[in-house]
Amino acid sequence: MSKLIPGRRNLLKAGAASLFLAGVPIAGLAKGKPPGSISVIILEGGMDGLATIPPIGDPDLMRMRKAISPEGYLPLNDFFGLHPSLKFYAQLMARGHASAVHATAFPYTKRSHFEGQNMIEGGGLSPFSEKTGWLGRALDLADVAGRSLSLDMPLILRGHHENDNFYPASIRGSSRPKADLVNMIAMGHKLDAAQIFTKVARKSEDNVQVPRDPASLATYAGRAMAQADGPVASVIRVDNFDTHANQVEEGDTDAGRLARQLVVVDDVIAGYRRGLGKAWDDAIILTLTEFGRTVAVNGTRGTDHGYGSVGLLAGGALSGSGVIADWPGLSKQDQFEKRDLMATIDYRSVCAACLEKALGIDHDVIASQVFLQPDLPRVFDHLFA
Amino acid sequence: MNKQFTIAQKIGLMFRYDENVPQDMEGWIEQQLRAPSPALGIANTSAKVTQWPDELQPNLSKRAGMWRRYRALKKQQREGKNGQDTEAARQANRHENLMQEKDEHRFVQRNVYGADQVKLRLTSFWANHFTIGNTFDTGQLIGHAIDEGILAKLNGSFADMLYGMTTHPGMLTYLDNVWSAGERSVQAKHCRRKPDCQAGLNDNLGRELLELHTVSVAAGYSEDDIRAAAQVLAGWGIDFGEELSNMREKTGSNNHWNAYKKRWAEPGPKKVMGQTIYAGRSGLRQLTDFLASHDHTINYISTKLCHHFISDSPTKAHIESVKSVWHQSNGDLNTIHTQVLKLAINSPDTKFLWPMTWLFQVVRLSGATYFKGWENTHHYDDKLMHTKKVFEELGQSFWSLRQPDGYPNDKAEWMSAEMFERRVRFADAIYKNGRTRPSVNKIMDRIGAAEQTRALVASVGPSPKDQFITLMCSPELMGLEYV
Repeated sequence: MSKLIPGRRNLLKAGAASLFLAGVPIAGLAKGKPPGSISVIILEGGMDGLATIPPIGDPDLMRMRKAISPEGYLPLNDFFGLHPSLKFYAQLMARGHASAVHATAFPYTKRSHFEGQNMIEGGGLSPFSEKTGWLGRALDLADVAGRSLSLDMPLILRGHHENDNFYPASIRGSSRPKADLVNMIAMGHKLDAAQIFTKVARKSEDNVQVPRDPASLATYAGRAMAQADGPVASVIRVDNFDTHANQVEEGDTDAGRLARQLVVVDDVIAGYRRGLGKAWDDAIILTLTEFGRTVAVNGTRGTDHGYGSVGLLAGGALSGSGVIADWPGLSKQDQFEKRDLMATIDYRSVCAACLEKALGIDHDVIASQVFLQPDLPRVFDHLFA
Repeated sequence: MNKQFTIAQKIGLMFRYDENVPQDMEGWIEQQLRAPSPALGIANTSAKVTQWPDELQPNLSKRAGMWRRYRALKKQQREGKNGQDTEAARQANRHENLMQEKDEHRFVQRNVYGADQVKLRLTSFWANHFTIGNTFDTGQLIGHAIDEGILAKLNGSFADMLYGMTTHPGMLTYLDNVWSAGERSVQAKHCRRKPDCQAGLNDNLGRELLELHTVSVAAGYSEDDIRAAAQVLAGWGIDFGEELSNMREKTGSNNHWNAYKKRWAEPGPKKVMGQTIYAGRSGLRQLTDFLASHDHTINYISTKLCHHFISDSPTKAHIESVKSVWHQSNGDLNTIHTQVLKLAINSPDTKFLWPMTWLFQVVRLSGATYFKGWENTHHYDDKLMHTKKVFEELGQSFWSLRQPDGYPNDKAEWMSAEMFERRVRFADAIYKNGRTRPSVNKIMDRIGAAEQTRALVASVGPSPKDQFITLMCSPELMGLEYV
C-alpha cells in the first residue's frame, strides 16, 4: 500500500521530478550576473519536519512519536538528529555547507495542499492572491530576466519575463518539429499562443537533451548554472511527501515512504553538488514544503496535515552548519491548535535571506516587493554572517 | 466552423469523419444525454466497430480476484518459485491479471468510436472532479470507477454519484480510508493495548470530501468538521487484496462497493458543519446527502461546470442559472447538464481543449486508426504506441499519479511550450501512422473551417502532412481565439 502523490502540475511522466531553470541572461541585455545562484527543491505533499530533523533532545518526541521516529538518526548536536536517509547532506553539514531551519512555515495554517502549495509558490499574503511567484518577482527585480528553460511554467517562477520549457518527447512516428513549420503556425495564433509556438520552434533548433530522473536533472541544472552565461535560478519538484499512511515501514522506523523520498532529496542535493562544480561556492539550495505534519501519529503509521516543518539548506554560500530554531516544544499546550508543530520562524524570511545572498537585492526591497510584507523579519545573519 | 462542429467541439468530441451531422442541435443534446453507452471499439485495426467483449469488462469481484492472483504470483516470482521468475511469466501475470492497460484502452476506444460523445465529455468532467490517482492498487479500479461510478450514473442525481464515488473502493484506497479506524472504535481500543498494533483515524478522505468533492474551502468549515467527517467515514472500505474469507469476516459482505467494517467504525453521533450524523453504516449516506444539497456545494460545482464547458470566465448569470436548476431539480444531473450545455453552445467564448479532448477530436475528424484493437492491447506494434504510453506523452491521463484536485480547467494552466510541442508531434504521428482518411481540404469543407484557418493551412505550402499538422494546431481546432 505504498502511495504516490505527484505534483498537480507534474503533467508529464509520472513519478519523476521536474526541473525548471530560469534567469538566463541575454547577452547585451542583462546588467550583469548576480553574486550567486538559488535553487529551490519543492517537496510536495507536506514534509514531516519532525522525522526529517528529529528533536531528539525534546522528551516529548519519543512520548508522542516513537512509532515513526527514525531510530538510526545521526546526532547533529544534543538536541537535533538527522534522518538516516540524508547521507550526503550529513557530509555537507560536517563541512559547513548545509544548515537546517526548524519549526518554520509560511504563514498558512489551513492545511489544504492546494492552498498551501499556491501560497509557498506565490509568496503572497493569502492563497491564490498572486498570479506570479516569489522567485519570478525576485528575478525580475535582479534584472536577470531573459531566456529560461523549464518543463512547464510553475507559479513560483511566473512573473518574470518570458518563460520557456523543455522536456524531450518520445512519440513513435513523430520527429522533431520543423522550426519553419512551427513558426508559420505561430503566425496564425494570437499573442500568448503565438509566443509559445515560437518557443517550440526555437527549442526545436536547440535540440537540448535533458534526462528525466531527479538526480540527473539536478546535475544538469547545476552544470547549466555553472556556465558563465547560465541561469541563476532553478526549481526541482519532488512529490510524494503526503505521508498519511506507511510513513515508516512496519518494524523499521528508518525505512518507509518518507525515508525513500528523503533519499531522493539527498540525491538531488548531491546532483546539484556534482553539476555545480566550482559554482557551488556561490550557490544556495533550499527546500520548500506546504506544511509540516501532525505531532501525533495517526492510525495508519503516518501523520496528517499540520503546520510547522523544517527547511533544508545547502550550498557553499552558507557561512556554516547548524540547526536554526526557536524551539517551541512539543507538549500539547506548545502545539499549534493542540496538534501541530508550532512555527516560530517565518520561512519567507529564510527565502528572503537566500534571495538577498544569491541575487544581491536589499532585504527591504525583497520584503516589500517580493513578499509584499514590508516588516518581514531579516534572518540573513543567522545563515550567512 | 459551422454551428454543428462548433458545438461538437465545445461540448463533445466532434462528429467522426463518417458520422451523420444532425441539424437540430438542441434536440441532439437532449438525445445525447440519454444515449446508450456501450463500450464501442475495434478488436484489431482491420475490424469493424463493435462492442467490447464482456470478459474485458470485469466486475469488482473479478477484479479483486485478479488482483489477489497477481499478488500471489508476484510473491512466487520474488521467491523464485513455480517458474514465476522468468520475464515471460512476469509479463503473463501482468497481462492476465492487471486491468489498467485494458481499461485505458477501452476508455480511448470509447472516446474515439463512441456515439455518445456528449456523455463522454461529461464523464471526463466528473472523473476529474472525483479524481482517483494511480497509487499502488487503484490502477485495478480507476477504469471501473469511470464506467460504473460516473458514466453509468450520469442520468441520476448528484447525491447518488457522490455517494457512489465516496464509497468506491478506488476512492477509499486512493485517499487512505481503507486503513482508517475511528478513535473510539473497537479496533482502535484493542490496538491501544498492543505495542505494535496501529489503528486510528486518517483524515485524508474526510478532508477532500469537503474541500474538493462538495462544499469547498469557501464553506469555512473547521478542522473539527474534517475530523468528524473522517469519523463518519471510518470503517468504510477494505484493502483490495484482502482474502475473501477475511473480507466476509470483517464486513459481512463480498461486495467491495459496500464494504463497511463495523469494528473499525466510530461509535456515537458526529457533528459535521452543524449537522448531526448518526452512527453506523447509514451515517455516510446521511452525510453525503447533506453535503450534496448544501448551498456551498451547489455554488462550487455549478461554477466548476460553467468553467469547464462555457468559458474561462463564466458570467454570474451563467452560474446563477445553473444553481437555480440545481435547486429546482434537487440535483438531477440530466437537468443540470442540459442547462450547462445549452449555455455553453449559446456562449461565444472559446474553450481551450484539454490535451486528451483535442487528441480524440483529431482522431475522430481524420478517421485515423491511431489506437490498436483490444486483441492487441499488450502487443508491440511498429507504428501504434501502447495507449498508456500515448497518455504519458500527452501529459494527461486519468491513470496517472496526481493530486486529488485533478486537472485544471483554465487555459492558462496548459499554456506551455512543452504542451504545445506535444500537439505538433501527435498531429505528425497521427498523420504518418494513423492512416487518416479524408484529405485536409475535405475536413475543412466538412467543418466549415474559417477563412483564417484556410489561409493559415495554405501558407505552409503543399505538403499534406504539414497541412494536416497546421490544421490540427490552428487556433480554431485547439479551441483558441483567432487572430
